[in-house]
This record gives sequence, structure tokens and C-alpha cells, in this order.
Amino acid sequence: MPIGKFTLLTTLAWRNLWRHTRRTAVMIFALALGVWAMIAMAAFIRGWMGEYIHKEIMNLTGHVQIHATDYRDDPSVVHRLPLTTGLLEKTLSEKPVTAWDARVRVPGVIASERESAGVEIVGIDPAAERGLSFIDGAIVEGRDLESPDDPSAVIGRELAERLETQVGRRVVLTSQDANNEIADRGFRVVGIFRAEPEAVETGYVFIGRRIAQQMLKIGDDVSEIAVMTRDRERLDALVARLRAAAPGRDVAPWTEIRPILVLTQKVNNVVLLIWFAVVFAAMSFGLINTLLMAIFERTREFGLFQALGMPPRYILQQVLIESLILLMIGLAVGNLAAWATVVGLRDGVDLSRFAEGLALVGMSPVIYPKLDESDIVASNVIVIVLGVLASLYPAWRAARRVPVEAITRV
Amino acid sequence: MGIALTMAWRNLWRNPRRTWLTVSAIGFVTVLMIFLITIQLGSYDMIIDSSLRIFTGQLQVQRAGYLDKPQIRNSVPDARGLADRLRALPAFETTGVAVRAFGFALASSGTRSYGVQVAGVEPRFEPRVSTIPKLIETGRYFDSIDAQEAVVGATLARNLKLKVGDELTLLGSARDGSVAATIVPVVGVFRSGVAEVDRHLVQLPLTTFQQVFGMGDAAHAIVFLAPNLEALPVIEREANARLPPNQNLVVLDWNRLVPGLKQLIQADWTTGWFMYVALILVVTFSILNTFIMSVLERTREFGIMLALGTAPVRIGVLVVLESALLAAVGLAVGLAIGVSVAFYFYLYGFTFPGMQELYGQYGLPGVLYPQLSFVSVALGPLVIFGFILLASLYPTLRIRRLNAVEAMHAI
Amino acid sequence: MKSSVSSYSPIRFAKLLLVAALAIALPAQAQDAGSQEARALIKAAIDYWRDTSSYSVAEMTIHRPDWERQMTIRVWTRGAKQSLVRVVAPPKDVGNATLLVGNEMWTFNPKINRVLKIPSSMMNQSWMGSDFSNNDLAKADDLIDQYTHRLLRTETSNGHKLYVIESRPKEFAPVVWGREVETVRDDYVLLEHAFYDQAGELIKKLTTQDIRLMGGKTIATKQRMQRVDKPGEWTEVTTNEARFGIDIASSFFTQSNLRNPRE
Repeated sequence: MPIGKFTLLTTLAWRNLWRHTRRTAVMIFALALGVWAMIAMAAFIRGWMGEYIHKEIMNLTGHVQIHATDYRDDPSVVHRLPLTTGLLEKTLSEKPVTAWDARVRVPGVIASERESAGVEIVGIDPAAERGLSFIDGAIVEGRDLESPDDPSAVIGRELAERLETQVGRRVVLTSQDANNEIADRGFRVVGIFRAEPEAVETGYVFIGRRIAQQMLKIGDDVSEIAVMTRDRERLDALVARLRAAAPGRDVAPWTEIRPILVLTQKVNNVVLLIWFAVVFAAMSFGLINTLLMAIFERTREFGLFQALGMPPRYILQQVLIESLILLMIGLAVGNLAAWATVVGLRDGVDLSRFAEGLALVGMSPVIYPKLDESDIVASNVIVIVLGVLASLYPAWRAARRVPVEAITRV
Repeated sequence: MGIALTMAWRNLWRNPRRTWLTVSAIGFVTVLMIFLITIQLGSYDMIIDSSLRIFTGQLQVQRAGYLDKPQIRNSVPDARGLADRLRALPAFETTGVAVRAFGFALASSGTRSYGVQVAGVEPRFEPRVSTIPKLIETGRYFDSIDAQEAVVGATLARNLKLKVGDELTLLGSARDGSVAATIVPVVGVFRSGVAEVDRHLVQLPLTTFQQVFGMGDAAHAIVFLAPNLEALPVIEREANARLPPNQNLVVLDWNRLVPGLKQLIQADWTTGWFMYVALILVVTFSILNTFIMSVLERTREFGIMLALGTAPVRIGVLVVLESALLAAVGLAVGLAIGVSVAFYFYLYGFTFPGMQELYGQYGLPGVLYPQLSFVSVALGPLVIFGFILLASLYPTLRIRRLNAVEAMHAI
Repeated sequence: MKSSVSSYSPIRFAKLLLVAALAIALPAQAQDAGSQEARALIKAAIDYWRDTSSYSVAEMTIHRPDWERQMTIRVWTRGAKQSLVRVVAPPKDVGNATLLVGNEMWTFNPKINRVLKIPSSMMNQSWMGSDFSNNDLAKADDLIDQYTHRLLRTETSNGHKLYVIESRPKEFAPVVWGREVETVRDDYVLLEHAFYDQAGELIKKLTTQDIRLMGGKTIATKQRMQRVDKPGEWTEVTTNEARFGIDIASSFFTQSNLRNPRE
């Protein structure tokens, strides 16, 4: 179609739309609403899912974990590995590793004057945990551990309540050492942390790594090395290098340690695609209806065009362009609205009024929406492509030969 | 009213294509709502049911205070007698009733030892309140209530390096504080899929447990499992009525036994509704144009009606009735299809690829059955109806501003 | 793992059982509040009870609001680190035995005919259902070195001088208590041992209720362990027979002897 004609049709289409301002406005609003619903909902779901995975990873999982071979089946002091040297150390100091820590993790018992509880004793280097796990920044009372030699302990708020203890008091940690003998020691509680789910608050007690090693008489050995990288979706290369650098050890990415997360992610993707399709279908009824109404009320006009010699296909194209303009404006407004929503709610939506139980199971009641490019592309593509397809019927109707009677119809 | 109804109906069909398109839109959303809601509620039923069926049961009779502080001394006296009496009642005919006793012990074999929970069970009745007897991976379940045998979880068996036929040593505290100790062969290994259970649970036949732990005829819980959750209130009432007085016993339902489950479901339900409302809004706005158009194109007509003396309010009623009828037709179509679809899945189950894996992780089946009830089916349509009526108010309100003379001059 | 909470204090159970009474009245110490003196007093009291070795027979009564249980036990000790306890009555508990060497603990049960080492996770559990925990037995002489001591005051009663000593756990001692207060008589009999939490609240108390001459020494023959918040629950140990400085080999305190008693 020659450019001149294109310009003509577009001008006609544009002016036609604005002959009925309110109708066009409502249609655009409906389209924008639909697009907004698609993208905004997707952003919330992605954000929630991303948050959930992030939380799991920060709850000591990390992106990659290295253990002695049998540790994951039987996480005791018996299965340990020596602190890193040589190639492993070098690999851990290069990209894409952003943080890593060697930890002692063994089961033990914590006791106060009144109560005792089974816990996991985690010996860490607090500086190394920055950017690696939740414990950095989780302290709500007192202070963090200062170094791997810090002789104090940091416990969860829920655990402190159960033990009826608090910052400044001593607790006793007991475990089995490398010789299968009782290892126990008094620790001053210097900090209280909060975390979700509750099991993390009651299950972990953090102490200095060197103190843990001394208490358990394991020299320089540790239970695990946890690694954080830039991108949790692209770990293959790193895992391969780590496996080469630590032969005979169990090197596992988070997808292996928590496969349920991967599965949930996959299901989510499917759910979102279905959501897009469903929203579009809901919109399309209105789109088709509106276009049809517009066309029928212009039967005389189209008849006139045809009588004046305009080829039917131009009429079809004109209607399609009208629809396309509607769609694009709707998309623009919808995208903008969605973007504004995401930016405006950047600090998170607090659902805690509706869902007290979420914290119990580790799902944050605060959702941070996260825009995903593939969602935006997908939703826009779906709307344009399917929108144009849906408009074919009304456009075709408009372009049909109009009998003379119709021209004279009122 | 009769006239208005007839007129409204006829008005709808003056433009069949438009009406049908709108009806389709409403029908589409209705089908979707019915399907999604019944499936969502069905999934909750399944999650609750499956979680409870593994071991907890739906209801338990315990000594008051035992739930919060499970000390072996807080026991239910003559538990088997009480259970037998309850079982004989007609109200409990289809409900599984089983006695359990619990203790804490050190399980060891060779050099490793683990703290475990030991449960004394009635082999004859336990399969009716728990799926564990059917989840035996190797070996078998108990034959008799006083057999000197044990059944352990798969993870525990692996950690202790135990196979069927090997001996398990249990060392714990009896009810009076003395040593409870026994060595029994492992006759079965079960895998429930629930990590806690597979790692920490050892089962003994009830009488054996009572002997080893010095319980006499006492136990700690009577567990109930009915075919479905609806029967629960009746069972709870009956059990409460039959509790012997002065023994300080209480009946606890699953909300108390497994806290957090209810809230988890509530949370999911709430987030689901965010999506539903968004969808209904999209459809409503989508067909709003239809309503507006259908009012605007009849401006002349309304003008004439006004001039003839019709009160504006009656025109308003007419328009609202049209929307209501439109919605009703749409809902009817949607209900018909939606209920059929839900019913189909009710009979054959609903599943999607990956579902078996996803739910299998929690020991849940990979098939969902929608919950067919008045509420589950009517909820969606009712909300849709409400939104549509609201939407129809906009054009209706415009009618009030119509001036008869000007209106009649409209094209 | 949920541990049942019965007793969590490093109360010196061994002191109860290992009663050794030599009628050696050491000269009354100078009223010096220095920690050295207080520590020496505590050490002397503990040494007095454990002696170089001992054998005793005692009856333990565990009392609860709704029931009561009694056990008869025989106890052998050697030095500060070795102890063996065997239950001889009632019949259903006969043969149960506990061996302590250093901080480690083993138990033997005739029904299962096995010696099992008590893992760290069970050290907080009560011993045989009493108000004493496994830890209490195992960490008998922690009191001397894991604490700093100071003499609070001296009192007089019934012609005896009483030393009231406060013991505070050292910073990293594996002790949950805030402080403990012992009342030691001038003939080294422990009259009272009180346990306070870290806020200063009294949690439990061990009180001596009867003192006699036995095996050649004046010893506490009846002691009761009681929690302050549960007046209906206590454990009482009554020593009926005691001998000190007996001839007993180190090989007596082994796992094989635990299983096959040669006594």
C-alpha cells in the first residue's frame, strides 16, 4: 500500500476514533486495565516468588554449597572438610563469586537456667556472611558477632523467649566433638536476631567459627562452604570449576539442595502465561463488541466510501488501523500504569492483615513487585497479536459489499 | 414491573450479536470463576486432608495440657477401653478411631544414636487413621498388638544403617521416670514423604509400648479420622459427650493440632481473590462500553418516553433490568458450562504436568478434585453479578440528566 | 529434638552419693573473704565427700504431687573423676547401672543387655526420673575450677561455724546458673547448696536434713533437692551405709565392668 494511502487511512482511522470520545476512552481504559492487570499481577507474582527463593537462599542455603560427601544425609561433626587451600581458595576468590564463608554446622543442645532445646550450632565468620546469608543485618537487639574468634553467641528471638533468656545472659551449648565426647561451653548471648520462618529463629545458634572448631576439637576443619554469586540462574560454569577444585567433595547448587523451589518457579511461569491469555480473552469480548458497534453505526459511511470507489480492502485496513491505534494507546497507558504501580509500591505491599500465617511458613507477608522483561514483552505481544486477530472479524464485516439500501438506511 | 421486564428482555434482543457477545464475555468469566474457585477450594481440602491423613488425624482426645507440654505422665487412663466404647457408637461407624501412646527415646544401632519419638499403636485400627501402615516400603506392618517388633521411618533406617530384620535398641524414660529399654527387630520400614516423620518416628505395637514405658493401660491420644471434614463437628460433639468426667480430657481438632495450616490456606485464598477481582474488573470495563452504547443509541427513544410522561426513574429501572437480565443469561450459560466442567473434574480428577512431583514432595497426591458445594459454585457468579450491576449504574445515572426535548432531537 | 525439661542444674549429685566423713576437724579458718580461702573451702568440702575412694548404699525417693518412687542404689567412687552407680531395688529397675569417667557417661540396662553412651543431646535429661540431670552427675567437680568463689559471711549454729560461700561461674564455663551459694560447716559437711538464675532468682536448693557418723566420718546422710516453684516435687537421698578409702582399682570403672559386674 503506497505511503500516501497509508497516511490517509491512518488519518481517517484516527479521526474516527475521536468522533466518539467517550467510547474510545472507555475502550482504551478497558484495554489499559487489562494490560495493567497482566503486567502488574505478573510483577507481584514474580516479586513474591523471587522473594521466597531469595529468602530460602539467604537462610544459609546460598547459591552453591560444598560439603564432605555424606554430610547432607547425616549432618554431624563426623563429616567435615578442611578449610580451603590452593585451587579451591583461588576459585572462590574469583568472579562470579561475590561472597563465601566456611561454616561449622552441627546439631547440639542449648540450655538456659530453665529450659533446653535442640538446635543447630552454626560457627561463622560474621564478616564473610555479609551478602551471603540473613544473619548479617538480622540483629534486632544487642550486637552482631565480631569475628570468628568472638566467644559469644547470637540467637533468635523466639528461641530466647522459649529459653527465657536475653542479651547479656549466659547459655550453655553442648554437642559431640570429633572424638565422640561431650563438648560443652558457656556462651554469653550478645545479640538477638529475627528471621522467617519461625523455624530459623528457633533452630539456629550462631557462634564464632574458631570457637566452634576449638570446642569440637576439629582443628581447621569445617562442615560446609557456602557460596554466593551474582546470578543464581547461571551457576553451571562455577559449579563445574568448584567440582574440579574440590575433588571428592559434594558440590551442589541450590537447585539441587532445594528442588521444590525450582519446581514452584516452573509452575509459576505456566500460571502466568495462562493468566495473560485469560485476561486477554476477557478483554477481547469488549474489544470485538466495541469495534462491531462502531462499524455498524458507520454502515452508511462505509457504503458511501465504496460507492465513491474505495476498495474494500482499504476499509478493512482502516478498521484494523483503528483497532491497532486503540490497542497501542491502551498498551501504552497500561504499561505506564503498571510501571507506575510497581515503582510506587516499590517499598512493598503489606498483606499481613490478611495472612497472619504467612510468616509461620516462611513466606513474607510483604510483597515487592518485580518487573520482568519477558513478562512485559509477552503481555504486549499477546495483546497486539491477538488483538489484531480479534479485530479481523469486525474489519471484515465492515469491508463487505454494502447494498444500496444500507446507504439509505437511517 | 411486568411491563418493564418484558421491555427489558425485548430490548436485549434488538441487537442479538451484541447481546450474545456480552453474554459470552460474562459466561466466559463465570466459567473461569467456577472452575478456579472449585479447584482452589478442592486443593485446600486435599492439602488439609492429606496432611492430616498421614499421621495427625482430624481430631484427638488427649489429657488437657499434653499438647503444649507432651510429658509422658500426662496420659489418658484406660485409653483402649474408652476407644472401644466410642467405636461402638453409631456416630463413629465410618470414622477411624485408634489409640496412641508416645515416648521419647534414644534409638541406636552400632555407633550412632538418634533421639526419636516412639509411638505405640493399635495395629488393627491404626491403618484407619493414618496412611503410614500403607506406606511401608520394605517389610511389613505389625500383626498383633503385643508383638515385640518395631517399624521405623526410611531416613532413620538409613542413618542407623538398619534393614528389615536388624535389631533396634531403644532407651528412654518410662512414665515413672525409670529406664525404659528394649531391643526389638525391625519388621518394616515406611516412607511417608514428610521429612520429620521419616527421620524421627519409630512405631511399636501398643501393648509392647505400654510394657516398655510402664504405662499400664494408659496412653496419650485417641485419634479420629472421618471420611471427610464435614462430619467433624458431629464427631467432636459425640466424643465430648462421652468423655469420662474427672479425667481432665479434652477433644482437640486439627486447627489446634496443626496450627499454621489454616492460616496458610487463608493466605492463599486471599491472594487468589486479588487475581479474581482484577479479572472481573477487566471484563466489567470491557463490557461497559456495551452498556453505554446501548443507552446512548436510544437517546431519542428515551426522549420520547420522557415526553410521553414516563418518570425518569422508570427508565433507569429499565436499563438496570436490562443489565440484570443480560448478566443473568450470561451467568446461566456460565453456570451450566462451569458446573459441567467442575463436575467432570470432580469425577475424573484434575492434574497438570509436574503436579505429581510438586505435591509428591509433601506426600500429597498429584490429582485434585474440585470442591462442589453451593458456596464454591455460587461465589464467583455472585461477585460477577454484583460488579456488573455496579457497572450498569453509570449509564443509568446519565439518564437522569436527559432533557426530553433535546433527547428527541438526537439521531 | 524436644528435650523433656526436668532438671538443668549442674548440681553436684556426686556430692550426695559420695559421702565420705572423716572426723577430721580442720582448724577453723581465719575469716578471710579472699577467693583463695573460699575456693579452698569448697575444694576441701568436695574432697571430704569424695575422699580417695568410697562405697555407699543409699535410698533415693522421688516425690511428685500424685506419686512417689523409691530406688536403692550402690555407689562406688574413685578420686574425683570415676564413679559407678548400680540400682539394686526395686526389682524392675535392678541391674540398671551408670558409669562416669571424666565428663563422659555410659548406661547399662539388663533388659537390652547393652552399654550405651549417653550422647550430648541427652545430658540435660534427668537421671532415672529424679530431679538430678545426667549433667549433675557428670560434672561433679566443675564447682572447683569453673567458678570463682567468695566468702559471703560466717554464721554460728549449734556450736558449729558455718561458712556461706558464693560461687560464680567463670565467663565461658558450661554452667547455666547465675550463681550458687553453698553453706559449708566447719567440719566440711555441706548444709545447703542454692542455685540462682542470672537475674538473681532462686531456682532450686539442695538441703541437708540429717547428719551422722558413718564409715568413720561425719556426713550428710539425708539430702533433699527441691525446686522453688514446684513445692510438690522433690528428690531425697538417704545414705544408709558408707565406707571410705576402700581398695578399688581403676579397672573397676570400665564399660566391661559396667556390663558384667564383678562386685
